[in-house]
Order: sequence, then structure tokens, then C-alpha cells
Amino acid sequence: MDPFELRRQDFSLDEDQEAVREAFATFFAKECPTSVVRAAEPVGFDAALWARLVSLGATSMALPERAGGDDAGVVELSLVAEELGRALAPVPFVEHVVASRLLVAAGAEARLVAAAADGSRILGLALSPLTGPQVVATAAVADAVVGLHDGDLVLLAAPGRRRHLPNQASAPFALVDPAAETRTVVAVPNAAALYERAVREWKVLTAAALIGLTEGALALGVEFVKTRRTLGVVIATLQGVSFPLADVHIGVVGGRQLCRRAAWFLDHEPDTEPALQAVAMAYAAEVATHGVDVAQHVQGGLGFTAEADSSLFYLRAKGWALAGGDPRRDVRRVGESRLRAAGI
Amino acid sequence: MDFSTIELDEEHLALRDQVRAFAAEYITEEEFEHEHRTGDGFNERVHLAMAERGWIVPRWPVERGGAGLDALGARILDVELGRPGLPWITLDTTRLVLAAVERYASDAIREDVLAGVAAGRVRMCLGYTEPDGGSDIASAKTRATRDGDNWVINGSKIFTTGAHNCQYTFLIARTDPDAPKHKGLTMFLVPLDTPGIEIQGIRTFCGERTNIVYFDDVRISDDYRLGEVNAGWGVLHGPLDVEHGIGGDGAGLADQSATVRRVRQLHRALDAAARWATTPGSDGSRPADDPAVRERIGAVAVQLEAALHTPGAAGRVKCSDAIVAGGAELLDLVGPAGLLSGGTPGAVEGGLFDYTHRYSPGTATYGGTVEVFRNIIAQHDLGLPRADLPGNKAFIARSGS
Repeated sequence: MDPFELRRQDFSLDEDQEAVREAFATFFAKECPTSVVRAAEPVGFDAALWARLVSLGATSMALPERAGGDDAGVVELSLVAEELGRALAPVPFVEHVVASRLLVAAGAEARLVAAAADGSRILGLALSPLTGPQVVATAAVADAVVGLHDGDLVLLAAPGRRRHLPNQASAPFALVDPAAETRTVVAVPNAAALYERAVREWKVLTAAALIGLTEGALALGVEFVKTRRTLGVVIATLQGVSFPLADVHIGVVGGRQLCRRAAWFLDHEPDTEPALQAVAMAYAAEVATHGVDVAQHVQGGLGFTAEADSSLFYLRAKGWALAGGDPRRDVRRVGESRLRAAGI
Repeated sequence: MDFSTIELDEEHLALRDQVRAFAAEYITEEEFEHEHRTGDGFNERVHLAMAERGWIVPRWPVERGGAGLDALGARILDVELGRPGLPWITLDTTRLVLAAVERYASDAIREDVLAGVAAGRVRMCLGYTEPDGGSDIASAKTRATRDGDNWVINGSKIFTTGAHNCQYTFLIARTDPDAPKHKGLTMFLVPLDTPGIEIQGIRTFCGERTNIVYFDDVRISDDYRLGEVNAGWGVLHGPLDVEHGIGGDGAGLADQSATVRRVRQLHRALDAAARWATTPGSDGSRPADDPAVRERIGAVAVQLEAALHTPGAAGRVKCSDAIVAGGAELLDLVGPAGLLSGGTPGAVEGGLFDYTHRYSPGTATYGGTVEVFRNIIAQHDLGLPRADLPGNKAFIARSGS
């Protein structure tokens, strides 16, 4: 953002957007308590929760009307992602909706799109171009994985379920091997550009999910410190406790606005501020890494126990952020974009 | 949600051109030299020229000395004068106090002060902090004692930036030492030419000049009181909220926090770093050829973006954190040549990195320290209980001096 540029700075949600946010906040709060999160371990998938999410229209809302969708955009999806993150919902929502939109943009067969829109066929997304076997974050539950292979947009399908790779985040990680899976090319001339756009969508939505996750963890820390006492005072009154929590809040509110603005630009002016999605991702990864640590640490030894719900947040923050690779690569991208913008 | 470019109609385009022409004429090398020499954050020639155009109070109607601009017009003015680096400290403190003057000043002084502000001849500085008080401005010990229709003021205020260029200070004074801390305070608009006032300059290591103002049996009429006796905390709150960046313009145009003004310096430094990084050295290589340099510039850019997007009290802290860390990081990147003062042979970008590094720490203190804002966030946003500290409710009379 150029602080001297004359642009609107309206971060408010309109009535429809607020309704979307509220509906999904209510849904996840009710349908996805931490008992559901724990029960879905270690694969990190709850088929019943997925079905209910699909029935709410989450997988079709951001597809065009002609593909059975509601023409919502990345902004609306980011609102869902944030609420999903707050609840740590074990569903492959972000990758699935981004891959679905990518298929639509590439003009994939209506049959493929319809099965994605109604959630009956789960799509995964390989987040770097496939050059060999690659760990893909939702491949253990995805029926097909969309990726870029030899410059082509491809759909990869394994003969059976891919083997889950147990991991810190209890995420449905699995290895995808383009040489060993059935490979369907979605013929499109600008595959690389469409793929790059999809990765930018993934970054914004994952960043939004990480912001929700961080705020969820923060709420646990805040509740704990309000009741815990030491040396005769409630520990929340100690600035050594309250200031780190305030810093997490600062990261959350700024990160949220970054995500919303980055989503808006993808919807309205995708060529403007092209590194904004990388900014959102890099910042959200930093905020989440710091935030989940503060949230567990203010609970002392108890926060470090597996029994504490804050452990669920701590263990997922990295798993979600790293699915797309080292966030420092996004930092470098931002630097390169800034150098280009300087006109050199 | 809307972040679109604002299409300017003819009227606003004309205003933009007018402001740009003004900036080119008035915000010049000579002006920068004056600012560098004085550290005033104010230039009377520029200030009076702005006043002639109604730009001190741009949204006021023309007949009151304003320019009759709408929210967009005021934003154009802010952006177009901010880009070339208008000195704005005294302009801002003057504007901050205006709402309190409009609402609370006595009939005897109100119109004269408001008209004077619009005309540029009246400027106002903040008289909040005391030498031993810091950001806890409600602990003010400067005394105002009633004497018939007058008040007699004794005490001192520090960081009264711009006082030597101002006609009034917006003073918070203790009028009832026996009342609870926040209930014994009264606000005054004290004419700075009153006998008994002494203004002494203080230099910061950034080169700014601020002041300490001593009040020794300063006698002013009750006409200069703002609001009811002992109701000063409420009078102060309007300006304080604006200074804290709480609120907004309601038009979706405003910066996310009041401190965005200060973090603009990091934006300038980052642009300068990009120029430095892409300039070939004697061997033809450029710093930007090194991926580590690109990554470090990226790291500062991410923090700057985050700062620009963070709203309200949180933004106040984030902007300061970003410029303090970013100013130091860019200096490291450029190396020893970045430390050279502007004008010295070999200085990079006219000493901009040196300046930014010296400028940044003040952002964590001006307008209340970042710790004040972390306390506000802890209590108001997170709902954490406030520490029960002896000073919270202290009766000032019994708390020492």
C-alpha cells in the first residue's frame, strides 16, 4: 500500500458478507468443538463435518452461476476460512475451493466441476509445480490433486486412497507422484498463469485461516490468565503476561485487514499490488507462529500438555503455513516486488 | 469493502493540481534546510500561505476561514502535502485542540481563537506531560488556583512541542488536589505571552526541537478555562481520542491509525533502499543481486504493509514497532555509508537512513508510549482486568510533593 495513494480504505463488510461470516462462525462453533478436532486425528478429516459444510454451500459459493455457484469471491471465501481456522475444522476446504475455481477458470469439463461443487469429489492442490513426488497437504483425503506438471494443468488420481503421512499438524498429508498416478491434462493455453493465480488465492485463504487459528488460540490464553492467580494477583494484571497477549491481538487485527484487502484485490484488481497475497501469507505465518506460542506459554506447564486445547492450535499453526513452503520465500518475493515497483 | 482508486471529478482534480502546485512552490529545499536547522516541525511562511487558502481548517466553510472541502478534498490535501514532506507537528496539535475550543471555550475568547486559527496567526500546542509524569497525564501536578475571576498557574510542562511558535497551550492543570486523580483536573487555553511563562528548548537526537514550559505565578482570566472546573478529563478526551487514532472520518478514506503519518518515513526509506539496492557499484554488481538483500528488503516491506493495515490503538503500536525495527534493519543493510550525515561526501540518499534510524524511537513515545496502548488493548480489546496500582486512584495531594 502506498500511503500517499488516493484510494478508498473501507474494510467494512457489507450486509451479505456479514451474513456469510456470521453463518459460518455459528456453524463451526456449533459443529466443530475441539472434541471433533481431536476425534479426526491423525488424518485430520471429518467426513460428516465436510458433508454439512458442503450442504451450507461452502464448496459452491465461490463458483460462477453457470457452474452451479453463487458468484462469490475470494473475499467471501476468506471470511469462511477465518472462521474455519478459529475452530481448527478438519476439512480440506481451502485447497478444495481453490482447485475448483482453478478448474473452472481452465474450462474443465462440467462433470468435473459439478462433482467439485457438490463436494462429492474432493480436490487437493499441489502448491509447487510437480517435478517428482511431492507432499501435498490434503492428498490423503483428496480424490484428485490439481497441479502444474511439465507446464500443463493436470489432475492426478491415485488408484486407491493415498497413504497418510503422520505429521505434527494431524493434517491429511500424502505423497503425490505424477509418474505413478493417473494423469489427466486440462488443456488450456495459459496454464501457468492460472496456476499462479490459484496459488495466490491459496495464500490469502490460508493466511485468513491462520489469523482465525491465532485468534482462537488467543481466546484460550486470555480466558486462562483472567482466572489464574500468582503472588496474590490475577496474572492478567501483570504486564509480562498481558503485553505479549496484546501483541498477538495487534498481529491478528492487522493480519485480518491484510487478508481482506489482499482478497479484495484478487477479486477486483488482480494485477495491482501483485505481492499483497505473499505479504498476507508471510505476516499471517509470523503472527500464528508467535500467537500460538504465547497462548500456550501464558498457561504455563498446563498449556504445554497434550490435554490443553491450546496444544491443538500450536501443532497446526506450522502445518497449515508450511503446506506452501517456507514463508521466507514469500518474504523474498515481496522484496523483489518492491524492487520492481521502484522502477528498476 | 472498497479499496478502489478514487476517480476525481473536475473540482477535485483542480484542487489536486492546486495543492501540487502549492507543494512545489512552498515545500522546497529552502524549507527542508529551515526544518533541518530549527527542528520545529513548523514553518510560518508555509503555514500562513496554507491559511490564505483555508487549508488550516479545510473542511470549515469559507466564511469561517476554511476551504469548504469535503472529506475527499481534505484527504487530497493531506496526501498531496504529506508526500513531499510538509512539516506538520504544529499544524496537527493546533487542529487537535480545535474541537475542544469549539465546544468548551467561553464566549469571550471562542470566536477570536477560532478565527485566528483559520487565519494561521493562532497556533496551539499540547500542555499535557510533566517532567516527572510521563504518559500518565492524569497525574498532572501543575496547579491552577482560583483568585476571583482569575486563575494562578504554577508548575511545568514538558514535550510542549511547538510552544515557541504557538500562541496558546492546551493545558491540563490540577484544580482540586483533594479530589480523586481524574476528578480534580481542569483544562485551560493559556496565552503563551502571559508574564511568568518561560519556554526553554529541548533537542531530541532526531534533531527535533521540543520544549519545557515553566509557569511561575501565571495569572490568566477565567475566560481561558475550557469546560467546567474539575471536569478537565472529559474535555481532554475528544482531542486525546483523535490523537490516539480512535474513530475515523466515516468516509472510508482515513488512514488505519493516527501513526500512519509517522510510518510514512519508513515508506520513504524503503523506496530509498530499493534505489540503493539496484544501483550498480564500481564492479557493476548491485546489492539486489544478492538474494539475502532482496529478502531483507522484503522483511521490512512486510512489516510496513502490516503497519499500514493495522487499525486504531493496535496500529499505533504496530507502526512504531515497524519503523523502529525497519529503520535499524535498513541501516544495517546499507552499512557504514548509511551512517554518514546528509551533505557529507559519500552519504547515501542524503542521509535518509541515518535520519530514519534517529527518527524512529520517538514514534514509540509521542502521543503516549506504546505501553499505554498495550494497556488499552489488554483492557478494552481483550477484556483483561487492570492492575490495581497505587497510582490508579491516588489522591495527588497525598502522593508526594
